[in-house]
Amino acid sequence: MRRLRALRPVELDERGLEVVSFCGHCAMQPESVRQAQRSRVCGHCGLGLVLQATVDLAPSRGEPFLVVDATLSVCAVSAAAEELLGIDETHAVNKHIADFLVPADANAPSAENLLALLVEVAGGCGEPRMTVVRPRQEFGVRFRARIGPCGPPHAALLVLT
Amino acid sequence: MFTMRTLKTSEAAALLNVSPNTLRAWERRFGYPKPQRSAGRHRLYTHGEVAALRDALQQGLSISSAVSRAREALSTDTHALVGALAAFELDRADSAMESALALRSLERSVEEVLLPSLDELGERYGTDSAPWAFAARWADGWLRRAQRLAPPPVRRLAILVGDATRNELDPDALAVRAFELFCGRSGARVMALPVGGVSGLSDVVESLSPDAVVIAGGHLADDDVALWAYRVRAAAGPLPMALFRRAQHGAKVRTTATRILPDTPFGAHRHLLALIDDRQTTRIHEIAALSVLDGDVERREARA
Repeated sequence: MRRLRALRPVELDERGLEVVSFCGHCAMQPESVRQAQRSRVCGHCGLGLVLQATVDLAPSRGEPFLVVDATLSVCAVSAAAEELLGIDETHAVNKHIADFLVPADANAPSAENLLALLVEVAGGCGEPRMTVVRPRQEFGVRFRARIGPCGPPHAALLVLT
Repeated sequence: MFTMRTLKTSEAAALLNVSPNTLRAWERRFGYPKPQRSAGRHRLYTHGEVAALRDALQQGLSISSAVSRAREALSTDTHALVGALAAFELDRADSAMESALALRSLERSVEEVLLPSLDELGERYGTDSAPWAFAARWADGWLRRAQRLAPPPVRRLAILVGDATRNELDPDALAVRAFELFCGRSGARVMALPVGGVSGLSDVVESLSPDAVVIAGGHLADDDVALWAYRVRAAAGPLPMALFRRAQHGAKVRTTATRILPDTPFGAHRHLLALIDDRQTTRIHEIAALSVLDGDVERREARA
């Protein structure tokens, strides 16, 4: 019985891919599907909304990440990203992503695609992809980032690794 | 008029499907929803704010973005009032305030909708313009009407306001009216007199027996204010005296121990009430200490 309780039903998105739920602030998974259905607010920290992303994209606990919408405005900043980037979610929300993160190498062909990629995945389509970014106004610091769609509603998830 | 649905913490938490602790954590982190306090110091949330947040959470990606969206939804009242006053439509202005009152307390409706709307109109047209005059007169009338509809005084507390504003078109005059309104709604008896008139002032002061005096507005000269304050003190004795919306004009008042109240009407009224309460508590302690001393003296005399 204990083992059965530990089992979680596999959740699939509209494309049939396996997705997991996580908190947009602490990245913890909801204790149960029923709890997640009852309220979108994270039952662990109470400071984030429960979002979904594919298994290979979703952040693990402690991984910093940001959520960006199709207008490239920051919509959520995880607790770990707040600490890593030295920003406060309440001040970062509604600001342009380029105010915080820019392509690591402006001359690389992928650089110009960063914003286009974010717009594309924020529309709910596209596969998770890897890129390299750096904090704005900071040089010599780089982060590998995986970018892919999350939601609901549709948005782009940018996980710094 | 002026009815607003409020929710206790447990009710607001249930509406949002979160725990009361989460709601208090949101208040600390996001400053929203911002509760008022009941007479017993319990949190009271306005239904409109909580409902706006609940709707925003459905479509949000984070609590921050939902709070931002809920705030935006509430700020539409300010735009509506500015639009109505700029178009000289009194009925629409009244309706905008009614909508604001459905979502907020009267105090917050005045501070978050009425006064910011007037500030915006003042900046847009100038405070010597006809649109400003129209809007200021409407706002003055609205605040006076609210004052008339305020519940009768319940506390044995009287406040004398020395009005040092130019007239109802003075940009500070509306803040002073709002301050009087908030003090009145807190259960105090408030009397406002123009600082320019000192004749017969002692009769008024004796009749009111004020617990505090506030000099509000920065238009009249220091000498006029000093003369008025002197007459009040001569009639009522030493009283806590405070300045509201005067210090920022660079004016100085030659009185001792004068407190400067915060610029916002709500902050000023809270500050003043705390000042009066402190003074009354000190007085009670002094009386208690004196009675203890009297008792000691009597006991010693009896022993002797």
